[in-house]
Amino acid sequence: MREIGRLILVLGLIGVGSATSLAWVRATLAERIEQQEDLYVRGPALSRLFSRPADELLANKVKISTDSAEYPVFYLQEGGELSGLAVQAAGQGGYGGDIVMMVGIDVQEDELVGVEVVSHSETPGVGAKVEKADFRSQWEDLTATEHVQLRSAGGSIDAISGATFSSQAMVNGTNQVVDLLRDHRDEILARIDERIGAGGES
Amino acid sequence: MTLKQTLLHGFWRDLPPFRLVLGLCPALAVTAAANNGLGMGLAVTFVLVFSNLIISLLRKVIPEDVRIASYIVVIATLVVIVELAMKAFFFPLSQQLGIYIPLIVVNCVILGRAEAFASRNTPVLSMADGLSVGLGFTMSLTLVGSIRELLGAGTWFGLTVFGESFEPFEFMVQAPGAFLCLGVLLGLMNAWSRKRGEIFVQT
Repeated sequence: MREIGRLILVLGLIGVGSATSLAWVRATLAERIEQQEDLYVRGPALSRLFSRPADELLANKVKISTDSAEYPVFYLQEGGELSGLAVQAAGQGGYGGDIVMMVGIDVQEDELVGVEVVSHSETPGVGAKVEKADFRSQWEDLTATEHVQLRSAGGSIDAISGATFSSQAMVNGTNQVVDLLRDHRDEILARIDERIGAGGES
Repeated sequence: MTLKQTLLHGFWRDLPPFRLVLGLCPALAVTAAANNGLGMGLAVTFVLVFSNLIISLLRKVIPEDVRIASYIVVIATLVVIVELAMKAFFFPLSQQLGIYIPLIVVNCVILGRAEAFASRNTPVLSMADGLSVGLGFTMSLTLVGSIRELLGAGTWFGLTVFGESFEPFEFMVQAPGAFLCLGVLLGLMNAWSRKRGEIFVQT
């Protein structure tokens, strides 16, 4: 009995040490990792969505909090008017966890410009195909006022065969953004105006 | 083993993956380019040095029955630290190595050194062992990566070597090329040590 107690104690202490050091490393590096993701992932994704250089878009960022989550929102201005939004959302229900994605919206037309994958842990060669352009191109020009759905649920998106979970996660992420836009549109616009007014360049 | 022997054994006598025949999975999977081989090797070296140190420090505390579980927790912690650090400082490399970084946890070289060396030697010797075996592994992976990249893409660390007229053997940067390259190198090494009359006992 004493022996078992010792086993549990030692393994438990090693676990505590491990968790403490990981929490510390994560907290220390979080900001730098975010910068690197801006540079290598979010920047290029934004640049593909709006065909503009990345550094012009990355600075145009506001954060919108709802009851359930916080969404980084990037905006694009053309001729002094707001023309595009890109909202980052975590699509829930992926096979390997959330799929972090960026949904581009044309504000004037209320249409989706496209979706980009920021990070995911889906199975290489199966779910990871959500990154492929021919899957993502199905989002182009869909209306941004209604939920998107997989074809099996009566919608217009063809799921990747063998990767229904991953495809569904992309749909879920998009619908979060559609909801956010419907329920918090005024707040988003106000926050962007505020930021531009506060000396954020055009 | 003395400190000097410990520092040198990873470069020939126990050179992974050729001599130990452990850690073959990353050696085959990430060596399509010299750069990736080097990055993977250095990540493994970091984990190996510190896992050997920590396990050696705890060798009298860790009970026999749960030693493997304890080693895995220590190794997994270090691997996550490497993964986060790589994302923070070498982001493109971390994207290329992808899933193979978390998989360092199950790299048998690391568990093998913990079990065979660090669990019964002093911290200083164990770190020397980790450094030696780790750098040997880095050397091997960079060598395999260099050969495959040179033949398969005509470049070395991304620099063009053979010029425009060279038609690369694309086969070499794909999976079968890895087996071929590793097998030929292993054969050459065995032939060389047989010629020198070295006796190898695989333990």
